Amino acid sequence: MSFTITCPICGERDVYEFHFGGRDRGPPPSHDNLTIEEYLRYAQFRTTRTEAQLEWWFHSNGCGSWFTTWRNPANNREEKPQEMSNDQQ
Amino acid sequence: MSLKLRNNQVKSSETRAICGLERLWGTSPLKSHYDVVLIGGGIHGLATAYYLAKEHGIKDVAVLERRYIGYGGSGRNTAIVRANQRTQENVKLYDEGLKLWPKLIDELDFNLMFFNCGNLNLAHSEAAVSAFRLAVSTANFCNVQSELLDPQQCKELVPALDISDRPYHPIHGGMYHGPGGIVRHDAVVWGLAKGAFKHGAHIHQGVEVLGIDTDGQKITGVQTNRGSISCNRLAVMAGGYSASVCEMVGMELPVHPLTIQAMVTQPLKPFLHHVVSSGAYHCYANQTLKGEVATGAHMDPQVNYSTTPTAWYMKHQAEALCEFLPCLKGVKFMRIWAGLADMTPDMAPIMDGNVMYDGLFIDVGWGYFGFKSGPITGKYMAEFIADDEAPDILKPFALNRFLENRYMGETAGATNYGHWN
Ligand SMILES: Cc1cc2nc3c(=O)[nH]c(=O)nc-3n(C[C@H](O)[C@H](O)[C@H](O)COP(=O)(O)OP(=O)(O)OC[C@H]3O[C@@H](n4cnc5c(N)ncnc54)[C@H](O)[C@@H]3O)c2cc1C
Ligand SMILES: [Zn+2]
Repeated sequence: MSFTITCPICGERDVYEFHFGGRDRGPPPSHDNLTIEEYLRYAQFRTTRTEAQLEWWFHSNGCGSWFTTWRNPANNREEKPQEMSNDQQ
Repeated sequence: MSLKLRNNQVKSSETRAICGLERLWGTSPLKSHYDVVLIGGGIHGLATAYYLAKEHGIKDVAVLERRYIGYGGSGRNTAIVRANQRTQENVKLYDEGLKLWPKLIDELDFNLMFFNCGNLNLAHSEAAVSAFRLAVSTANFCNVQSELLDPQQCKELVPALDISDRPYHPIHGGMYHGPGGIVRHDAVVWGLAKGAFKHGAHIHQGVEVLGIDTDGQKITGVQTNRGSISCNRLAVMAGGYSASVCEMVGMELPVHPLTIQAMVTQPLKPFLHHVVSSGAYHCYANQTLKGEVATGAHMDPQVNYSTTPTAWYMKHQAEALCEFLPCLKGVKFMRIWAGLADMTPDMAPIMDGNVMYDGLFIDVGWGYFGFKSGPITGKYMAEFIADDEAPDILKPFALNRFLENRYMGETAGATNYGHWN
């Protein structure tokens, strides 16, 4: 489905200008005592829910910046989770 | 006449048969307990129900489908079947799957319109030719027909191909897999539903699983919009929605829901007698028995649950097709649609049993390959559920491979060189 993503530099643009960088999962786990299983879980196991998630996007056909934005995979709208939009940020 | 028959008040089965209205499957009362509950009324759920009832005598089976059967990928795919996957474990399973179609048509007494026209993959670089050489060797090693062609031989198979150096990506060669082709996807859904029902399985449409019940280490049932249903064994076969169903028991999967789009042109005189795929143009096409060119391949790269097509993709597809099949210039697209693919990182499916809980089976992560392999997987999943032990052919597909760093090599043959169907 075609939709728009808002680049912090260029503004709202067609999604096909961007490269999807995946959900933001926080910093990678520390390598000290990291087991293969823990690492693989971090790298590939995740559930995509029908609620807003924080994601990385790359404006590949634009200004070339990497940034994060909230998007809901259910409707592809850029929207913040309920809790965040309530507190006016 | 159709008006009169509309309200289901058809008098006798004789009248129904004469009018061609004989129902392929019937409705059953929703019981509060089943031995086996299968979540998802796609090809995988229906095939598993069919084989459980027919070959294992397990008839206390319910398929729960939240919309209507075939609502998911099973009713939206481009119906391509073939057995030339990249790795031996996969080739073996898909080869059995391919050989099953004629048998299934007999068994179900239903015409699935199997058209084994063969699949031609185009190579647009020397690297792609080398990749095909590897794929052909694997196929031949597993006794699956597959051969490498030069551009002239491709042209002999598909005279409409432009093998000159005019296209942006000229054709360097091809890989031809004769036994593959097309099967009518709706017919497979209906035929399996007919067979499953005939052997005693219940098919419940409009029943959505909202939660999964467990007791200690065991699966005990499901919560649905029609109340709770207890069961001894439960299988998740929910296609693109599988990861969210598994989340109901807190199980995370390496599965990403992605939208795939497909479209058909207006009907044309027969000119394309094989399935043609091109990795470089990211496009595959075949001419249906009705004359339409059915074409697809694009997968939206971001995870999402939407099934809305895009104008961008229609344009891409028109440009790609006109490059290697220039005779299609000016032809109009008639319909476009989209469905979900549940993609794994190694592009191979996950089939497992007694995962996390006793009695919990999963058959997920089919990406864009789950149509061709539907019935054969149903057959083996039924065996798995009945015997409570994984059949040898399914063992390499267990979920654990993703935690042990034993990914299957399917990606090596696929995205760059043209296998996405
Ligand atoms: C455009 C497109 C083209 C494709 N082309 C090909 C091809 O050429 N060849 C090929 O082999 N494969 C192809 N595929 C892939 C193939 O369609 C799928 O892999 C296959 O249909 C999966 O079947 P399934 O039975 O596992 O799932 P589905 O057919 O997706 O069925 C899952 C069902 O589960 C139901 N469900 C979900 N959640 C719940 C719930 N909570 N409770 C109850 N029911 C639920 C859904 O409504 C759905 O009907 C294509 C897919 C798409 C989208
Ligand atoms: Zn930008």
